[in-house]
Amino acid sequence: MTAREGAADEPGPEGMTRRQLLRHTAWFGAAVVLTVAGGEVVSHIAGPSGAAADDDPHALRFVQISDSHLGFKGSANTAVEESFSHALGQINALPYRPAFVMHTGDLTHLATPAQFDQVRQMMSGLRTGQVLTVPGEHDSIDDTGQKYREVFGAGTAGDGWYSFDVQGVHFISLVNTLSLEKLGHLGNDQLEFVRKDVAKLPADTPIVVFSHIPLFAMYPAWGWGTDDATQALSYLRRFSSVTCLNGHVHQLFTKTEGNVTFHSATTTAYPLPQPGTRPAPTPVTLPAGKLGEARGIREVAYRPGNPGLAVKDVRLA
Amino acid sequence: MTGNLPMRLGTAACLAVSGYVHAELYVHGYRVIPFVGPAFLVQAGGSFAIAVLLALGGPVLLRLAAAGLALGALGGFAVSRTVGLFGFTEHGLQPAPEALVSLLAEAAVLVLLGVSHLLARRRRETPGAVA
Repeated sequence: MTAREGAADEPGPEGMTRRQLLRHTAWFGAAVVLTVAGGEVVSHIAGPSGAAADDDPHALRFVQISDSHLGFKGSANTAVEESFSHALGQINALPYRPAFVMHTGDLTHLATPAQFDQVRQMMSGLRTGQVLTVPGEHDSIDDTGQKYREVFGAGTAGDGWYSFDVQGVHFISLVNTLSLEKLGHLGNDQLEFVRKDVAKLPADTPIVVFSHIPLFAMYPAWGWGTDDATQALSYLRRFSSVTCLNGHVHQLFTKTEGNVTFHSATTTAYPLPQPGTRPAPTPVTLPAGKLGEARGIREVAYRPGNPGLAVKDVRLA
Repeated sequence: MTGNLPMRLGTAACLAVSGYVHAELYVHGYRVIPFVGPAFLVQAGGSFAIAVLLALGGPVLLRLAAAGLALGALGGFAVSRTVGLFGFTEHGLQPAPEALVSLLAEAAVLVLLGVSHLLARRRRETPGAVA
């Protein structure tokens, strides 16, 4: 053995020889290289994700915003109109023109004609193909949605529900805020609408469902669920991809149940507490400078041939 | 070489199964879920890598990494069924059968690593035993 080899086998202060250290380093390096290579292969098989879809001219892209509460006065956000304007500016600054912008309810705080007029005017400045909405319970406080439908109800059925198709994706906009007791409620007429609406669609049609209140039991004690949603979702069971996008809870939340993925959106106005962390879901006043982190917009992309939608939540800048 | 061959290959196979399940779920939709999607990709890539290296006979460091991956996946499963993982929750053994297959594979990884560790210690403690 040479002196050099002898030094290599000499244990260091931590009891490891240089040779052992080199061997361990080689195994560790191989693990890292193989992990990266494996991840590359898997993501290549998965195809382009949402980010890649941004560059795809054939991708369908739309934006969801929610819970703007125009007219709200409180310490949780003393300038909700300014926040909403900021969110709209962020949408207009996107590097693409969304096919549509969907507002999933609580456009206004008190459903006054002036608040509806203000929100309509502000949203008319959006650089998008179409502005769509579903009502929140704040949009139908005293008239079961009459004023809401006068402004946003054109082309809808029943109490304001509707469906439409864009680039092979079938969209259903539901109203679950009008017959509120504790939980959201769709009602028999709307359930029948859903059943008939999807009856003739092939099972590989991607389905997206918009509603204000979650269609899953996020926190029933606070009314964060819809009592007859199971019936509506049973009509969608045969579809390979169902995505439900809702508002109401003012915070991001995702869950899957079988073939359905639920995404709760955050607000453009003010946060609500996480389920069960406070006695009631009342507006949360955050420390100075923290409010922006709780609010945001949601970009959604669908690339034809992909099994599902890519959902990207972005904070208000 | 470390550990006995059947144990090592069994551990590698179970880890590869766990990696495959995570890769399949990632490809078929989970990639769009914030944080959970990238975590599934890391789990899949890491599991495949450690499985290959374990099969080739890696040192104790790799067995620790295998245990870490299995524990991480089981921990993520438990959290997603209770308090939620970065706002992501699922119920029971959904998606089926992937959730159950993954759970069994990761539990098997931990059992096999534990047994091979005990066997190795017994061999070291038994004078004259043939490794």
